[in-house]
Amino acid sequence: MTDRITVEELAELMKKCTGVTVTPEELRRDDTAFAGLGVDSLGLLGIVGELENRYGTPMPTDAERSKSPRQFLDLVNSALLTGA
Amino acid sequence: MSEPRIRRAAVTGIGVVAPNGASTETFWKSTTEGISALERITREGCEHLPLRVAGLVRDFDPSAAIEERFLVQTDRFTHFAMAAADLALDDAQLHRPETDEAPFSVGVVTAAGSGGGEFGQRELQQLWSKGSRFVGPYQSIAWFYAASTGQISIRRGFKGPCSVVAADEAGGLDALAHAARAVRRGTEVIVAGATEAPIAPYSVVCQLGYPELSTVDDPTRAYRPFTSAACGFVPAEGGAMVVVEAEGTARARGARVRAHLAGHAATFTGASRWEESREGLAQAIRGALAEAGCAPEDIDVVFADALGVPEADRAEALAIADALGAHGTRVPVTAPKTGIGRAYCAAPLMDAATAVLSMEHGLIPPTPHVFDVCHDLDLVTGRARTAEVRTALLLSRGLMGSNSALVLRHGATDVSH
Repeated sequence: MTDRITVEELAELMKKCTGVTVTPEELRRDDTAFAGLGVDSLGLLGIVGELENRYGTPMPTDAERSKSPRQFLDLVNSALLTGA
Repeated sequence: MSEPRIRRAAVTGIGVVAPNGASTETFWKSTTEGISALERITREGCEHLPLRVAGLVRDFDPSAAIEERFLVQTDRFTHFAMAAADLALDDAQLHRPETDEAPFSVGVVTAAGSGGGEFGQRELQQLWSKGSRFVGPYQSIAWFYAASTGQISIRRGFKGPCSVVAADEAGGLDALAHAARAVRRGTEVIVAGATEAPIAPYSVVCQLGYPELSTVDDPTRAYRPFTSAACGFVPAEGGAMVVVEAEGTARARGARVRAHLAGHAATFTGASRWEESREGLAQAIRGALAEAGCAPEDIDVVFADALGVPEADRAEALAIADALGAHGTRVPVTAPKTGIGRAYCAAPLMDAATAVLSMEHGLIPPTPHVFDVCHDLDLVTGRARTAEVRTALLLSRGLMGSNSALVLRHGATDVSH
């Protein structure tokens, strides 16, 4: 397991937890927002829960309030880096 | 023709997802042909339980009907509701462009007996096998009995008044009455109905305590109301949604007015007090007729509650006689649910769909598995009966004591006098 969450892993998690199909390329774009993809706050909460179970570490509480995949990845990856 | 003073509630669309047909067309065909969909339960986790027979929805592929992001956050009962709502809205010719123009003019009303048992069981198993961190957040909404109302309105972008009726099986009819009231108060369109999915292990176990449940393992003998062999009811899944619309609005946009929700009344006589349901049901019928401005002789067909418990069947037959007088023994009575099963709140909704189609086709469907009626009723058995149906009376009772009656009138009926 890598110590960083990639856009590929986030795409897979989004599919699993929220049923939203999205390409890694879309997630890389700065202007992609969760709301536009159809991911609601409960869906994001599910993704956070899944990540916490996978990595065995708590994610920042702000993570589930992220507006965009970029913002989300920055937050969770900085937490993983600090934790490591 | 002058505009009636009171806004009348019209049915302009019907959508059915039922054990005997996952579309309105196949449902109607199976229902009129008296084809039974009751079968032995082979669903995983249910095989060892004492409930043997049910009405199960076949030929329904949720992923073909509903987007995945709605599927992952909802239970099977909501899958049925979203699919049936789509069918009803298509049938009413109310598509996204029209409803998006006036989202506040469309609301949703549903009734549900138990909610999302299958989804709930899966998440509770996660809880007890792995821990609370493994319970998905959608558990908070998916198993809630109100989920279908919320999901239909979110998915279709409706912002009008939304409600959920919690009133036992009879709540299915109450949901239609609530829709009619919302329309009379000024909402243009209400998508109303009920769906259920109670054939999953946890849900089945919850039902095993009902003394009225049939545990007979022969699908041809398990649910035979109004006969001396009555041994309880068989549960079912599926349901129906209808589009209820202000008649004037419907006519203005060129929609076909299929029927009117003309009258309704509900009473309560206590859980499993079937003898007392006679008086409660009779009173509900009188109230519904009064609101509809109908005489007993105006009723062309009765869709019976048909619980299949001897004292409940007797109470229903007597209630029909009490409320309709001599006409009660002459009017055709039918219970197509003997071939479908009793889908709790959704059972009277499937009856409502059948009633509208009966008026349009001039055909009263039969009561499968029932031949030897032991009550003074003209029960339609064997094959469908040709009849001019302009006014239908629908009856429903709940195991917890609710009794409801609803009068549906043919769409062309002029009652503006």
